[in-house]
Formats: sequence, structure tokens, C-alpha cells
Amino acid sequence: MAEVAALVRMSGIGKRYGGVHACREIDFTLGAGEVHALLGENGAGKSTLMKILSGDVTDYDGRIELDGEPVTFAGPTDAQARGIAMIHQELDLVPGLSVADNIFLGRELRTPWRTVDRRRMEREARALLERSGVHLDPRRPVGELRVGEQQLVTIAKAISLDARVLIMDEPTSALTTTEVERLFVVIRELRRSGVGIVYISHRMEEIAQVADRATVLRNGQFVTSFDPRKLTTAEVVEAMVGRPVQTMFTTPETATGDELLRVENLAIKPRRPRPGRRDPDGISLSVRAGEIVGLAGLLGAGRTELLETLYGVAPGGARSGRIVLQGKEIQPRGPRHALSHGIGFVPEDRRASGLVLFHSILANTVVSSLPAYGRLGVIARRLERAASIRMADRLRLKFGRLQDDVGTLSGGNQQKVVFARMLLTEPKLLLLDEPTRGVDIGAKAEIYRLLGELAGQGIGVLLASSELPELVGVCDRVVVLRDGRDVASFSTADSGEGDLLAAAMGESAVFEEVGGPQ
Amino acid sequence: MTNAQDKPVAAERSVEVVGEPTAIAESSGGVVATLFRFQSVFGLLAVFVAAIIFSPRRDGAILFVSADNLANVVRAVSEIGIIAVGMTFVILIGGIDLSVGAVLGLAAVGSAVLMVESDWGLLPSVVLVLAVGLVFGALQGIATAMIGIQSFIVTLAGLQIARGLARIWSDGQGIAIAYGNGPHEAPDSFAILGERTFGGLVPIPVLIFAVVAVAAVMFLRVSAFSRHLYAVGGNEKAARLSGVPVVRVKVAVFAICGLLAALAGIVHAVQLNQGSPNDGQGYELDAIAAVVIGGTSLAGGRGSVAGTVAGALLLGVLNNILALNNIDSNIQLLIKGLVIVAAAALQRLRPTS
Amino acid sequence: MRNLKLPLAAAAVLALVLAGCGTTNERTSDNPQAASSKKCKGADGKYVIGMSQANVAEPYRQRMDDDIKAAAKDVPQFEVKFADAAQDNAKQVADVENYITQQVDLLIISPNEAKPLTAVVKKAYDKGIPVLVLDRKVEGDAYTGFIGGDNVEIGTQAGKYIAEKLLPNGGNVVELKGLAGATPQAERHEGFLAGIKENPKVKVIAAASGDWLREKGQAQMDALLKANPKIDVVFSHNDPMAEGAYLAAKAVGREKEMKFTGIDALPIPSGGIKAVEQGRLSATFTYPTNGKEAIAAAKKLLIDCGTIEKTQTLHTRLIDKSNATQIYAEENPNG
Repeated sequence: MAEVAALVRMSGIGKRYGGVHACREIDFTLGAGEVHALLGENGAGKSTLMKILSGDVTDYDGRIELDGEPVTFAGPTDAQARGIAMIHQELDLVPGLSVADNIFLGRELRTPWRTVDRRRMEREARALLERSGVHLDPRRPVGELRVGEQQLVTIAKAISLDARVLIMDEPTSALTTTEVERLFVVIRELRRSGVGIVYISHRMEEIAQVADRATVLRNGQFVTSFDPRKLTTAEVVEAMVGRPVQTMFTTPETATGDELLRVENLAIKPRRPRPGRRDPDGISLSVRAGEIVGLAGLLGAGRTELLETLYGVAPGGARSGRIVLQGKEIQPRGPRHALSHGIGFVPEDRRASGLVLFHSILANTVVSSLPAYGRLGVIARRLERAASIRMADRLRLKFGRLQDDVGTLSGGNQQKVVFARMLLTEPKLLLLDEPTRGVDIGAKAEIYRLLGELAGQGIGVLLASSELPELVGVCDRVVVLRDGRDVASFSTADSGEGDLLAAAMGESAVFEEVGGPQ
Repeated sequence: MTNAQDKPVAAERSVEVVGEPTAIAESSGGVVATLFRFQSVFGLLAVFVAAIIFSPRRDGAILFVSADNLANVVRAVSEIGIIAVGMTFVILIGGIDLSVGAVLGLAAVGSAVLMVESDWGLLPSVVLVLAVGLVFGALQGIATAMIGIQSFIVTLAGLQIARGLARIWSDGQGIAIAYGNGPHEAPDSFAILGERTFGGLVPIPVLIFAVVAVAAVMFLRVSAFSRHLYAVGGNEKAARLSGVPVVRVKVAVFAICGLLAALAGIVHAVQLNQGSPNDGQGYELDAIAAVVIGGTSLAGGRGSVAGTVAGALLLGVLNNILALNNIDSNIQLLIKGLVIVAAAALQRLRPTS
Repeated sequence: MRNLKLPLAAAAVLALVLAGCGTTNERTSDNPQAASSKKCKGADGKYVIGMSQANVAEPYRQRMDDDIKAAAKDVPQFEVKFADAAQDNAKQVADVENYITQQVDLLIISPNEAKPLTAVVKKAYDKGIPVLVLDRKVEGDAYTGFIGGDNVEIGTQAGKYIAEKLLPNGGNVVELKGLAGATPQAERHEGFLAGIKENPKVKVIAAASGDWLREKGQAQMDALLKANPKIDVVFSHNDPMAEGAYLAAKAVGREKEMKFTGIDALPIPSGGIKAVEQGRLSATFTYPTNGKEAIAAAKKLLIDCGTIEKTQTLHTRLIDKSNATQIYAEENPNG
């Protein structure tokens, strides 16, 4: 480990929020040209530590040295001026502004007349994006982009700062495998030019691929530091969780029942085509009762759009093909209609479209099933509390009181609340869009366990995911989408991640080095 | 399709995971948080105490706490208070209703025209006027929920329309209300509402305000509708995906707000024995101020009717004590403005989320 | 959070409601005549006078307050307090209630509208507070004295002036009216029609409502100018609208073709007397603010223990080029 040229040296860092130690006596160094992975469960103190380094948090104990000089930052702008940039997990982009405007926000390029030089900004933005391996029109409003694309824009923005220290907080959570690979190429390039990178991620295999060194935090404290290429995933996870890894998680095998959902040649001709949106263009698939069917595909393959169409929330358009639920053809008209037919939906972005973060756990849990707790529109508090507690127990929700804001929960527990809400509607079919994104590993396991349990009860699940191990591990069958069509279907019993990826990318795509333990 | 379909039973589902999860849920709380939550109630208490301290005295008696004066205070806030309850609903769903003052004028005119000029009975008149407010609000709700025009714009237009309707209905004249059984006289039973007090006890408008406020608080506590309402204001997209009938909620909320504005208009007419098309000008802003002081967030999804009631009373006490001390009317405006800013600033300081 | 908030707020409401329970029934009426004199403590007394103004945004009403203030300065026993109802009847009711609470020795009120304020004025009067009503009346007779101008008379004077002096040979008149529904508007209009009746050749060819406002008068005049090629006189219900009309005519180069008359004649720099002096208006008619007269009446009641006329009507004066400068100086003795 190159301890010689320490670009950043943080020593004895501590930070308290009320009675909670977010960080306690943490030492952390980053060398020039080093990729240093930071690991830990949600709430382990990674984000706080990096907020301190990036100037977001200014009152802390301990000291920071940059190039051997002690420094204190007045704020993020100050830190940026000294070459420290952070890519936040919550994408800090302005939806109404274009990609180029966002990249140059606050430091717009000017013409000699002091007006904004749009043309130059667009040109440079395009170059930056291409360097990160993205083909996006820099004039498009960021609000139109999907989460993954937005993530790439923030990465491009951070790179454009010419930072010497780049902090990436889960940069790949919404990226497809191909995009992750491209990002790694960029990271290696940056490393060669002497940039120090802090890489926060939940994904072990990425860390093994890209990091030179890894540090594990737990409960705000330093646990261990190691060479990621030498430790097994199991050992890393043990360090993170502080307990030995139980076993390989296996969902109980359940005999699947009758056909629940059949989609035949579903296609939508949108009234108004939206850039970047891939409506179904001839999809056929089926889900049986008790079956977990995965939806694989690259970003823009149309996975989210298919789920939205089945739930009746896609923008209007002429529909062809058939959607058959339990033998009866249905025309999804909207969430209420779908829910009344026993179709539940867990959306991709739980903060933006799943939860009211500043409302209570209780309110968020029962909102879809309120008529069940009273008569004539009057709610019996006892009943809704009972239902919420029942669900919380079943999902092993970790919470203080039902009245607490849902925003105080960890990501995984927030996701459980969305699940609980849907389960209270007693669905027959669950549509899940990236249900484990940004969820720590423990909660992930619980969600998988839950899916197995639901399947055991005869509920059909359609699971869209970008994580191939998840698809292979959890699903009975995986349908691969490409360009709005289903191109392949695999049984997970006899196919692996490589097969899925190959199908998702299509014959024409160059098959890049695909990591992962196969 | 491929080979997968003839193997419906999965051979194995597995993925690598770990033992017990350790996610920690922190509960928000603490003394400070509590103080903030009841900000408007504490604010009301503080202003009330200040009013007692700064009240002018006569013959040793504190004028502010005299029974007559307190009755005046609550009566003066009752109309704004009734409107503000409706406004709270609208603001809770992230909207705004600028038309309430004009709807109040329309309802005041309507009551006077129907009872005095058209010689309608009390009940049909009141029912019709309330229906006008309800329908007017519902139409605004439809415009904002179904066509998707922002409520600010819809109700700005609604303000003009209601004011215009009031002018047309009244021929631009204030219509005096006389009581009796003869032609062009309002029924005596209406005058009971106009009696300044009910049985020498509670001023009637205050009674109506209290009933409306308590009903609204209870409604928000127990109804399924209120959960939907908060959800729509908190995160409309999430609410929609959760199966909340967003359009229905919005239309209903604007309808309620219109209904309460009309109710306030009837109270206004009966208090002043007149319905004038210019009545209620600027009342929407007072109502919004009461809601904001009451701690309801203009962003929606957060707030309470109880807070609004406290906010309206706070403004009433403030108005009264400033007047009792004969503070110059221009200075009064400054002080009220500063109180609103201070209330909003306190909101920003509120801890958590 | 609602668990705790509800009882707290309910308690607050309840406390205030209960506090309001002691309100006396004000239907009982003692002898008001005797009551008025009760307040009289002669020249040695100190007196608090409450002045409830409908709306100080109107220059006329601001001037009324200023006149009262100026006149009261000469009576050391008087302390006058002012409240502004900002054109809101309900607010003015509350203002008067507050004066009653403060137990003022005399109430002066310039009501926003008659009907809505009748009850509260009666309440004050019944409590033994002498009440002087200025400019606009309240209904009934539960007040001590009314001091005001006569809008019908003013309208008639203006009509006569136009019919006899400005258009002896007849001509076309447009009328710019005040706010629809306001009593002075109706009375000035009624008087005006009576005034021009003597000369049948004077024709009112158009009328529009300028809501008492200069900018509204200007906008209405813009339209009237387009619609009417021949206008000889513009009769405006107040000076600001007349000034607005003048600006509109000037904008199209027609201000010399016609004459403008207003009402109010406020002795302030932006008022009608100056406009006449400077030649924009041909004439304006004073509408007395009654401020001086109100303080004189208060003095008579409180210090002299005397009585006053129930109704005191102040007559209007014609202001034209011949007397404008002189009257402006008289009304502003300190420059």
C-alpha cells in the first residue's frame, strides 16, 4: 500500500448527532492515484466521514491534512476550490435545466460579452459525457432522464471540476453493467493522472475490480483495512456486519401454480414520443402464481416502462396486444384499478415516488388500504395500528415508534415500508422495480427472504433489476428485454449472469470483460 | 420463447447474503422538536401573555381581559378563522386558494339578495348560498386537478370571476338586510344569527367558527380522506402510485374550501346586516397568514387545523392589543408583517427532515 | 403530533369562548341624551377622543384625519386616537368596539358604509359615549350629531355651473362616476341631473365608472374619447378622475377641445384646487372634510357642556380660476 504520497490524511475524526456517534476516532488516508473503497452498512458513518471531507459538515473533531498541510473547509464550495469534489448519492441536479447547464451550474462559460456561451458549454458537455462513455444530448432537460442517466451526468459534472480528490457515493446504484464497466475505464484513467478517489459502494465485486485498498467502517468506527483483491466477499461482509455470514440465501422451492398474468405482444404507440422513453414494442411473457420472474435488460431496454404499463401509470398511447390477468383480459387504467385487481407496484425511486418521507411510518404503511380499517370513511386507529405492526413484524422492520417519520429509517427499512403498504392491499401479483437499490446488504437479504415467502403463498412476482446476481439468485425465470421487446427467457436453474448479459446486449454489442464470480 | 417455460418449478433460488440486519431507526423527538411542533400554540400563549402585560388599564382593570373585549377578539377572528380552516385543507394538498375573499363577498351578496330581494326563506337561501360556494370551489378543483392548471392561477381567475358574479348579482350595490315578516325583509330567524351573542353567552360567529374548527380537527383525525389528503400534499406521485384518488381528493378539498368561504360570507352578511360585492377583499391573505403562522407548510403535506386556529387567534389578539394601545395603523401593518415572517422563519429552523 | 395539539388548541378556543361569556346584552338602552352630558367635565377635564376612519388610502380621508389632528392641537384637553379600517366594514366594527373597550370620552366616525356600522355606533351611543358621525351617515338616530356635506347639493351646483357657465349654448357632456354602489356616487349623479335640467341643450352622451381612481378615470376616458368625437365637458365625480381624464385627452391632443370639472377640492398639492389654479380643471367644488367642525362640536359637548345640532350640513363652494389661489392659502395657513 502506497503510504508515501498521502494526498489526504484524516485523523481522529469524530462527529456526534445528538447522542449518536456518527463517526468516532476514524483515521483515513488517500494517496494520489489511489482508489480507496469505503465499506460499511447504511449508518456505518461512511457518508458522514465523506461529508466532513467534502466540507458539507464543518463542526467535527479531529484534523484533516491535504498535501501534509492542515486544512479546514468553510463549506463545500471551499473544499471544491481546493480540489475536493463529491458525487452525492442524492443526485443534486436541477431537473428543469439541461444536461450542459447542470454540468456548468454556478460556473457557466461566458462569451466575451459576459453572456452565457451555450454553444461552448454544450460542446464541452458532450465531450465530457463521451469521455464517461455516455451518449446523451447535452441540451436535454435533466428531469427527462432516467435515474441512471442522471447519475452519469453527475459523474461527468464531477470529472469536469478537475478535482484532485473525487468522492463517489454509490455511483453505480442505477447503472447497468455496461455503464459500470465504462465508468471503471474512466476511473482507471483518472487514477493514472494522479486523482485520489474514494469509492463508496455496496457491491463487493465492483470493489474487487476497481479499488486498490478498502476500509470497513461499522457503527461509526474503523474496523479494518485490506487489499480488496485478497479477501473473499464473505470475509468482507463479516467485517461489515460484525457477525459471520450465515449461509447462501435460498428461497424455498415452491410449486408454481396456474398462470396469473399473461402479456401477449404488448405494444404502446405513445401519443407524444418522449425522448429516452422506451415503451413496450411487442412484449410477451407470463407469470404463474408463486413464480418470481425477473426482468433483465440494459438501461433503456424498457423494463420500467413495461411495469408502468401493467400498473396503468404509463403516459397515454395506443395499446395493442393483450394483458390477461387470471384468464380475463384487463385494460390497466391506473393504480386504483390495478390495486383492485390485485396488482401491486413498488416503484424504482422510493424517495421520489414511493414515500412521503416526512410522514409517519404508520401513515405511509396504510395509505393504500385505508378502507379496511373502518367504516364510512372513519378510521379505527386500533385497526390500522394493528395492521401496521403485523406487517412490521412480518418484514422485520427496524423502527422506534410507528409515529416516527419514515425519513428517519435506513434505506432498506424505507423500502420495507413500501412493501408493507403493497402487501396490505393483499395483491396477487407484485410488480417490483429495482427493489433493492440503495438498500444495505442486511435489508437486501430480508427482501429476498420476503420474496421467497410471498412466492410460497402463491403470489406472482415480476422483478425488474439491474443486478444480475440478484436476478439469477432470486428468480425462477428471467425475461430479457432489449429495445422494448422480449428477446430471451432463461430458467435460472441452467443459466448464469453471462447468458443474461449477452442477451441483453445483443449480438452486435462487443462483449466486454464481465467480472463477477461465475 | 425459450426452454424456460417447460420448467415452471425453480430448481434453486439463491443469492449470497448475511446474517441479522443492523439497520437502526432513529426516532425524532426531544424537547426542542416538541416546542416547534406546537409553535403556534406557544406563540398564541406568548402573545396572549404579552397582551395582558401591555394592555391599557382603567380603574385597575386590565382592559384586554375584560369579557367584552375577549368576546370582540374571538368574534373578529371568526370569519377569517372559518376561511382559514378551508385554506388549511387546500394548503395541506400543496395548493392555494386566492378566491376565498371574493367567494365570501359573493355569498354575502347572495344571502342578502335571496332573503331581501327575492324573499326566500332562511333555509333555502342558506342552502343555496352554501351550494354556490361548494360548486364554485369544486369547479376550481376540477380545473386544477383534471386540467392541471396550477391552483394559484385557477383561483386567481376564480377571484375575479367570483367578484364579477357578486357585482352582477347585486347590481354593484351593497344590499342592506332588514328583518321582519314583510316583503323585502329577511326572516327574523336569520336575525338570531345576527344577534351579537347567543343567549347572552357566546357570540354566534364564534360558535360557528368553533363548530367548524372542531369538526375539521376531528375530520382530519379520523377520516380516511384526511390520510389521502396529507399523502397528496406530501408526495403527489407517491400518493397516486399508492392508489390514492388524487383527483377526487383535490376536487373535494377545493369544494370544502369554497363551502367554508360561503359560510363565512353568510356570517359576514349577518354580522354587518348587509351584503356588499366588495366584502372580503384581501381576506384570502389574512387566511393564508393564519395558516402559515399555524405552522402549515405551503409546500403541502404538513400542518394542522389546530395550528391554524391558534394562528388565527394569535393574529386576532395581536390586532386587538395593537388597537387598544392605539398603535398607528401604518405601524400595525409593519408589526403584523414581521410576525408572519418570524413564524415562517421558525418553520425553517424546525429540526428533523 | 396531533394527539397533543388537539387538546391544547381546543383548550385555547374554549378559554377564549368562555372568556366571551360575560358579554352583556346590549339591547337595553338607557337615556342617551343624559348620557352625552355625563361625559362633560368642563375645561379642567382630560378627554380621549377616538376617531374611526374608513380608509386613509383616499386622500380626502387622510385630509380629514389631518384636519382633526390640526384642530385638536388647539384644544389642550383633547387627546385624539386614530384607527384605519382599510375599507373593511368588519374591521371598522372592531375598531369601534375597541374604542368602547377603552372607554373613550367621545367617538368620531367616518363610516365606510352606513348599514354595517349602524349597530356598533348605536352600541357606543347606548353606552353613553357621544358620537359624531362625519361625511357618511349611519341609519337611525342613535348618534349625537352628524356633520357632512350634501352630495346632492354639490352635484346640483356642478350641474348648474356646467349648464349656465360652461355650456350656455348647449353641448355634449360625459360623466365619470365614482364607485358603483357608493352613496356619494348616487347622490352626486342625482344632483347633477337636476342641475343641468334647466338647459335642455346640455346632453349627457356617455357615462362610465372610474371607481374614484385617477388611473381608472384615465382608462375610462381613453375609451370615451375613442367612442365620442365631440365632447365639450367632462364632469367627474371627484378630482383625481378628472385629472386622469385630462391626461387621457392630452395624450390624444384633445385636451383643449373640452373642459373638465371635478369635486372635492382638497387643499393639498395634488388636490383639485391646485389643478384649477394650474388650469387643468375649469372648476371644482369643495367637499368639506368636516374635521375642524368635528373638533368644534366635541369642544362644545365636552368642555362647554352644551348641545349641538343633530345634523350640521356644510355647504359647498365653487373653486374656479378666480379664487383658487386665495382659498388654497386660506386652507394652508402655515404654507
